[in-house]
Amino acid sequence: MPDREHIVTSYDRDLETIQAMIMKMGGLVEAAILDSANSLERRDEELAERVRLGDKAIDELEERVNEECARLLALRQPIASDLRTVLTVMKISANLERVGDYAKNLAKRTSVLVQMNPIEGASSAIRRMAKTVEGMMKDALDAYIQRDPELAQDVRMRDHEVDQMYNALFRQFLTYMMEDPRNITACMHLHFIAKNIERMGDHVTSIAEQVIYLSTGEMPEDNRPKGDSTPYETVELD
Amino acid sequence: MNDMRMVEREVDTKEVKISARDCQVYYGDNHAIKDVNVDIEDKTVTAFIGPSGCGKSTFLRCLNRMNDTIDICRVEGQIKLDGEDIYDPAVDPVQLRAKVGMVFQKPNPFPKSIYDNIAYGPRIHGLAKNKADLDVIVEKSLRRGAIWDEVKDRLDKPGTGLSGGQQQRLCIARAVATEPEVLLMDEPCSALDPIATAQVEELIDELRGRYSVVIVTHSMQQAARVSQKTAFFHLGNLVEFGETGQIFTNPQDPRTESYITGRIG
Repeated sequence: MPDREHIVTSYDRDLETIQAMIMKMGGLVEAAILDSANSLERRDEELAERVRLGDKAIDELEERVNEECARLLALRQPIASDLRTVLTVMKISANLERVGDYAKNLAKRTSVLVQMNPIEGASSAIRRMAKTVEGMMKDALDAYIQRDPELAQDVRMRDHEVDQMYNALFRQFLTYMMEDPRNITACMHLHFIAKNIERMGDHVTSIAEQVIYLSTGEMPEDNRPKGDSTPYETVELD
Repeated sequence: MNDMRMVEREVDTKEVKISARDCQVYYGDNHAIKDVNVDIEDKTVTAFIGPSGCGKSTFLRCLNRMNDTIDICRVEGQIKLDGEDIYDPAVDPVQLRAKVGMVFQKPNPFPKSIYDNIAYGPRIHGLAKNKADLDVIVEKSLRRGAIWDEVKDRLDKPGTGLSGGQQQRLCIARAVATEPEVLLMDEPCSALDPIATAQVEELIDELRGRYSVVIVTHSMQQAARVSQKTAFFHLGNLVEFGETGQIFTNPQDPRTESYITGRIG
């Protein structure tokens, strides 16, 4: 990434604008992840409502990013690292928007779950999982701004932890459901939440991969550790 | 992934047409081209890009010994066309230029009829036995220059009466009339409007099926559009030479990156 400025300074301003929008989106999405998980743990319907409403701002930002990127492509015809900047901004904004949707979905389920008996240990485990994903997101965005492929690679590797947390929760929910069918509704909701947070981790991984593409010009090799096959095993009822 | 590359961007052959080794050019004491090594492939469009004064036109002119006409210009090193040294004393530069044709920045038709513009080269090189032969060559060349339909009814009119874009295509037709193997183009579109530019670019792409084309251009977008290989020159050095898609998405040298992205370099 050349740190020299363009001869045409308004070009630099355009590129800075779209990246600033990504950072703003990133901040909103990080907050949405933590708030939605906290709303679940504290059974705080008001906070859940705020997360649901806040998703609109994220969606609007994504739309603006797309408009600005289309405009920049048409007017400046960026190439080389400038082109990679625009391409990665577009992909990252799509990833962030999806993570925002998952947080919104989590908040919706909070409103349902507060009507039921809590499942022991579930919501604190989910909060820890969300916290891990949020930390990865923060590092991925830092890596983006600093054009740091090593930090991005580190984020990619950490997705494995999220997968393991999901698998552990999957087993736990199965056990609860087998123990007492009255737990099924709550556990189904909790399982969707865990699955959605696991998907958030995948989107963060994709952001990290974009950072690597942006700074090196090449997508990383697929050499990440894969999770176990827990969700694909069948369970026999005694 | 390479198999998925868009079809028209495929390089048909890997055969080297022109190879330059340790090429140096001096204008008096000025060392204008430094240690240039490059292999230009057959049936490929190669673009030379770089800021003004970087040596790209100078190097292009070495490829058909146009620099011979400049007294203070001295060329060292080796430039081979099909394995034969073009600076060998036994090589006749006039014959060489029939094989390595050239098109210039400003359309420069002869102040003669359209027909004679094309027929001039084949006549002096004795490529036609009679008038009928010559007629065939003229029509074929004008068709290859993608201008036949526009001029077929006015072959006896002066070439200078055509529009700028037509004149340039006439010059390209004139260059291909002697059946060259390589076509050198020095900013062929810089004096043309966007429509005429698009027509010339389309023509360049067609010519690629037959010739090795080397184009010097100040328009980066044009280099990206028409070429399969791109060479970036800077201060007399060949900084980077590679597949055009790679040069424009992921250049390896920071000087290339700075230049093509419009940064101070």
